[in-house]
Amino acid sequence: MAKPDALGQFEQLVLTAILTRREDAYGVSIHSKVEELAHPKAVSLGAVYVTLDRLEDKGLVKSWLSDPTPERGGRAKRCYRLEALGERALEESAVTAKRIWDGIVEVWGKEWVRGMSKEWGKRLGKETG
Amino acid sequence: MPARPPRAIQAIAALFLPCACREEVLGDLQERCTSATQYFRDVLRTVPLVILSRIRRTANPHLVLMHAFVLYLSFYGAAWFKAPALLYEKWGLVRLAIPGAITLLALILEDAYAKPGRRSPLRLARGPLLGLSWMLLAQAAFWTSHSSLTLPVWIVLYGGALGLLLTSALRMLFSPQSTSPQGRI
Repeated sequence: MAKPDALGQFEQLVLTAILTRREDAYGVSIHSKVEELAHPKAVSLGAVYVTLDRLEDKGLVKSWLSDPTPERGGRAKRCYRLEALGERALEESAVTAKRIWDGIVEVWGKEWVRGMSKEWGKRLGKETG
Repeated sequence: MPARPPRAIQAIAALFLPCACREEVLGDLQERCTSATQYFRDVLRTVPLVILSRIRRTANPHLVLMHAFVLYLSFYGAAWFKAPALLYEKWGLVRLAIPGAITLLALILEDAYAKPGRRSPLRLARGPLLGLSWMLLAQAAFWTSHSSLTLPVWIVLYGGALGLLLTSALRMLFSPQSTSPQGRI
């Protein structure tokens, strides 16, 4: 089996968005999930398209056109799903991210983790109102 | 509730979007549309990136280099036969590169905007023909403005004809083919 290339951060976000959207992974839904994951950074729809094209060229995702829907002016969606190579690449990225996390915790300690958790909790509380 | 996108902006976006991805991009833009201003901003931020991505997918770097080489060679050869003095003039070699560069740009855009799928030899020749007409138009524009970038008529005609022949042959030999659902070449 071919070994997947190392993924860039934005590619990781797009692959995660496809993974979480499952059957409903298409341009708009992937973009909204990527924006949520990349928060507070703004993400353009064009950047998502460029990355999706690149991921498809690398053989990490597969795309197909769905049936047209009226809310889109009778236009079809291009749906995406992860290929086996994409799943492996994402898995490797997640393992690397976990190692980075463990390394940081080892040096900065559990206190830092608690501080970060509090900060994230506050941020999420503010967003949800 | 999503607003209806302005027809004029939608038509312009449809005109600029490569047909391989027009359907889904226009659909996505319509689905996100909340107001005319937002739709316009979305189009401005999305369409250029989609075009560039399509060019990246369809332009084969080796084929582009081969095309650039044969086009430059065509105009250089024509100058060598018809007006060798031009080769020794200041900026002479740069002037010879301009028609080739314009033709090459037209070829790249033709590939990006072509419908995905296998193309007949006749449709493959459309790119070089388009390139030749762009090049002639650019030269005509240079002539009217008395620019120092113009080439003598005979070099343009001989070089253009030779370039058309060679680029068409290259495209027949290394036919751009669709290998993915979006028509990657």
